[in-house]
Amino acid sequence: MLSYILKRIFVGLITVFTIATLTFFGMHAVPGDPLLKGKVVNEVVRKNLEEKYGLDKPLFVQYGTFLTNMIKGDFGLSFTQQNRSVNDIIREHFPISAILGALAIIAAAIGGIIGGAIAAVKRNTMADRSIMLLVILFVSVPSFVFAALGQVLIAEIKTRVGVELLPVAGWGTFKHMILPSLILGLGTMAFLARLMRSSMLEVVHQDYIRTAKAKGVSSLQIFFRHQLRNAVLPVITFLGPAVAAITTGGFVAEIVFAIPGLGRYFVQAVQQLDYTVIMGLTVFYGAYLVFVVILVDVIYGFIDPRIRIAGA
Amino acid sequence: MSSLLSIRGLKVEFSTYGGTVQAVRGVDLEVHKGKTLAIVGESGCGKSVTVQSILGLIPSPPGRIVSGSALFNGTEMIGKPVNELNKIRGKHIGMIFQDPMTSLNPTMKVGDQIMETLLIHGRYSKSEARARAIKLLEDVHISEAKNRVDHYPFQFSGGMRQRVMIAMAIACEPELLIADEPTTALDVTIQSQILHLLRELQIKNKMGLVIITHDLGVVARMADNVAVMYAGQVVEHGTAEEVFYKSLHPYTLGLKQALPSPAMERSQLIPIEGAPPDLFSPPRGCGFYARCKQAMTICSDNNPREFYEGSHMGRCWLHHPQAKGVEV
Repeated sequence: MLSYILKRIFVGLITVFTIATLTFFGMHAVPGDPLLKGKVVNEVVRKNLEEKYGLDKPLFVQYGTFLTNMIKGDFGLSFTQQNRSVNDIIREHFPISAILGALAIIAAAIGGIIGGAIAAVKRNTMADRSIMLLVILFVSVPSFVFAALGQVLIAEIKTRVGVELLPVAGWGTFKHMILPSLILGLGTMAFLARLMRSSMLEVVHQDYIRTAKAKGVSSLQIFFRHQLRNAVLPVITFLGPAVAAITTGGFVAEIVFAIPGLGRYFVQAVQQLDYTVIMGLTVFYGAYLVFVVILVDVIYGFIDPRIRIAGA
Repeated sequence: MSSLLSIRGLKVEFSTYGGTVQAVRGVDLEVHKGKTLAIVGESGCGKSVTVQSILGLIPSPPGRIVSGSALFNGTEMIGKPVNELNKIRGKHIGMIFQDPMTSLNPTMKVGDQIMETLLIHGRYSKSEARARAIKLLEDVHISEAKNRVDHYPFQFSGGMRQRVMIAMAIACEPELLIADEPTTALDVTIQSQILHLLRELQIKNKMGLVIITHDLGVVARMADNVAVMYAGQVVEHGTAEEVFYKSLHPYTLGLKQALPSPAMERSQLIPIEGAPPDLFSPPRGCGFYARCKQAMTICSDNNPREFYEGSHMGRCWLHHPQAKGVEV
């Protein structure tokens, strides 16, 4: 198991390095000038700034500097935010994005697994059809639409009934987190529900379910002990990519709900061609996602003994 | 002799896209305390469906028990609500399924799977149940049971899994054990061990045993009574001796002739020509008519009734008084 994890980490490092390199050259190939957005027109100021950020050097020298700094864990200074280092930006704002993402994943996993399992057990009934209808809706309509609709709904309830169920936007208390994380998780929830349903339908017809019935195990116990665990395996494999989907989806949710997370800075940085922030956040997110995917695979091993023990 | 299980007029259908399959067409069977009934017949003749309907294990839909009764210790099993059935399943009737590779939950330790039965039906604490699970694994001759109890099914060979299935089925010392092709998937050595084990348990617990098999060798070794099934019906029923040595039905005869012996060459195998009838629309007459070498005119349109020689039953017109003189 340990050698497996080490191997995965090694491959992960190569992945991150590739991401960093591709982004670096891709970004520099994009037309535009990071200093223009800061309205630097004076030639002298521009020269000083270019020197400060190392932009006057050849591209490959810049690349080399970037790599050595990255290995030291230093992503440099932001171009557009005065004297703010990328590391500071990550340190301050990533926890907010991480909490939002984690809550969204939890909501998506719980909702998706339970919804899919119910749909499978009650297949071809009203319950199944309603759940599958919602699934199609949530998969096909982008989350920012539901975000806006959710906000409108809450505002309407406030004006009509006079009760503010949840804050419409902002960040701070747990109440602030409920709506954005639910909405952020919807698409993934729907996808997981579909995955869970088909996986569950397969498990329901397995021989070992019949064995459990023949032992006199009640339907409820069969559901929890025999069906759920076996059906959830393929769903867990998808959780890694789901984290990626939710993290990137989070950029939009953060803007709609005015949440001071990392995603906002990412979008801003891309718009303003803030080289260091783009590079820093891309590498950081890349490393983060690679880590999560490895983590999910390790967790999978613990749930499925065939992988855990065979790999040991 | 007291009757443990008595099936009368059981009819089971399956609705499929192609139409309704009449899988079981009026089956009567009797199992006595401490005795073994073997059910033989080719694939698709309704053996497994018959025994699974007793425990309400027919997937429904598509399956449906049309009519019939199955009395277990005098109580009706057909149509019993599931929560009532659950008190009998595993406790009074144990069941072993034919495919040991897929019949155990792959993500649950074998010990936990055995303990599950014990904890549902018996008054065991967790640790007592565990001790009993280890004892049961020892009973089915699994070595190092103390370690093995914490292993997963994929760490067991096919024969060992089948023995785990048996341990599970006998955990609560059921009065009736139904073994659906318990040895079909196994090699001969393990097959012999498992049959021996079933015999041991039967004597120890005075258990009634229903054994479903294709293998006439197993029948000869295990059975007190034999029921031969064909196309959803019992075509011959009697003691093992009667069925083997005084066969009343041409199909039973065909089965016996098809048995290979070491003295025979490969080319000398005598199969029963043809295929069983389509149970989407079963023939009006005898199900075996098309393949029978002794078929008579009456057989094509009239399903034979049961003819008895003492308690030995054969469902064949050859035993009608007017057909006397014809040798089966």
